[in-house]
Amino acid sequence: MEPQQREPLPKSGRKTILQGNEACARAAVYAGCRFFAGYPITPSTEIIEVMSSEMVNAGGTFIQMEDEIASACAIVGARWGGKRSMTATSGPGFTLMQETIGFAAVTETPVVIVNVQRGGPSTGQPTMSSQQDIYQVRYGSHGDYEMIALAPSSVQEMYDFTIRAFELSEKFRTPVVLLADEIVGHMREKVIVYDGERQIRGGHRNYVVSPQDDFFTGSNSLVEGQFHDDMGRRIGHLADKSGSFLASLESKIQNHIDEISDVDTFFMEDADIAILAYGSVARPALQAVRSAKGIREEAGAKGRFVGNLRKVLPWKKPDVNPYSHLNVGMIKVNSVWPFPDKEIQRLAKNCKYVFVPEMNVGKYVREVDRCLKHSKVISLRKLGGDLHTPTEILAAIAKEVEQHE
Amino acid sequence: MRLNVRFAGAGGQGVILSSVLLAKAYGLGEDMNISQTQSYGPEARGGACKAEVVISDEYIDYMKVDDVDVFIAYNQTGYDKYCSDLETKDMVLINSTLVTTNNPDHYHIPGTKIAEEMGKPQVVNMVMLGALTKLLPRLHYDKVMDAIWEDFPASLAVSNMEAFDKGYRFMEEQLLQKQSAS
Repeated sequence: MEPQQREPLPKSGRKTILQGNEACARAAVYAGCRFFAGYPITPSTEIIEVMSSEMVNAGGTFIQMEDEIASACAIVGARWGGKRSMTATSGPGFTLMQETIGFAAVTETPVVIVNVQRGGPSTGQPTMSSQQDIYQVRYGSHGDYEMIALAPSSVQEMYDFTIRAFELSEKFRTPVVLLADEIVGHMREKVIVYDGERQIRGGHRNYVVSPQDDFFTGSNSLVEGQFHDDMGRRIGHLADKSGSFLASLESKIQNHIDEISDVDTFFMEDADIAILAYGSVARPALQAVRSAKGIREEAGAKGRFVGNLRKVLPWKKPDVNPYSHLNVGMIKVNSVWPFPDKEIQRLAKNCKYVFVPEMNVGKYVREVDRCLKHSKVISLRKLGGDLHTPTEILAAIAKEVEQHE
Repeated sequence: MRLNVRFAGAGGQGVILSSVLLAKAYGLGEDMNISQTQSYGPEARGGACKAEVVISDEYIDYMKVDDVDVFIAYNQTGYDKYCSDLETKDMVLINSTLVTTNNPDHYHIPGTKIAEEMGKPQVVNMVMLGALTKLLPRLHYDKVMDAIWEDFPASLAVSNMEAFDKGYRFMEEQLLQKQSAS
């Protein structure tokens, strides 16, 4: 695969300690977000709190709306008027936003929506974590549309992925969801932040189905929720044109999946067992892999906690431990949607087993199972809002492997 | 080095704030890697509250505490809930005004009493943080002071720093007494 073409982050940054939610808000300001509308909900409230003061400092607009439906509508409208915009919520609010997310997808409005997941359904567990919205984020609105969703697993990733969410949404003129969870949102870690404002380029005409040159200029633009042509005129009653409109809406994402997909791997070269994880569960999963290998965490950490650690780290003689017979590696999916089929097939082609730990009833695992024909895909689900522990993951893997051999 | 610190108490006692200040002192002051997490109920005050800080000079993969090294109990409920996880090697600090236990290996700090004597019962968390700072490795008094100074508006910082100092001095004295006794 070609290396991902991205604008690198600036070399100089400031080291500080932030909560995941605070990092997200600051990243949004850095990415040029100048309109924020939201309705406070645990566990995403800190984003709204920080935004309420940051928007004033940055000369932007902050509105606390009457509910999440209005918040989502407000940010779509603000983007039409030319301001880069974002909202933040949790599961119950995200459900209310679904209609507008579909509307943003069909009108090709670039907005960023942050969903800091909590336990559900309904009010559920306001202060506990989950990954239950993994399907809602993809299929929540009606009709056929593509969705880009990024799942951070550290505070630095919360910062970096927020910037990336703005970049992707502008480039592909589409709503992008930052799919965080309570643990990442409320965790505090060291993070490198940048001052000033990042230059984000808008999409090339090729990425957009109906470019409408006056789209970001406010009231003169013709914006249409019905399927429309390149000038914004209705074509919903024309089957052939509507068909190709919908197909283009899909292909503008699917044809650029290599550019969008972001997958990190750890110790996968000769692994025959893979753990595939996303979001905060990736952290205990990585610890599990390292302790099975008897490798200590790398010293002298700099920046984002992920990276090509194996290149830096000399392979030590593995300590003997109860799990050292397991030849495990890890696949960490950062861009959970669109599902990076080819990339995962390539990475896991030699894996006999693929384990998918998740804080839900086992949802993403179905997607992985569909994609990997030659591996045994096993769900390691955990309900109730607590994170898996590394030992839990290893014990489950050892038990499963033992059963089959 | 990986140090797992757990705070437990009631919502409103400043449990999370003291863990955040510890994280900032270690992370920015001492340039270690830190990860601070918390869990609490939906109530603003009352209800069980837990905060955890992992400190390491290496990457922190698993950001929660799996094996406690240091445990600080602000009230009886918090102590009872987590004392079963403790091993004899672990360092335990209790707010002895509110926690009763007959374990002689624990460090007893009358946090609430010291804070009330200052006329500010809300600074109990700073007293406990002061005592904790004295006991923890590779953590300096002034780094925590810096963290407190930066976290509070100036009007509140002074009383909090004073409480922190009181806790630190209290533990210093305790250690001296222990030394001369043995």
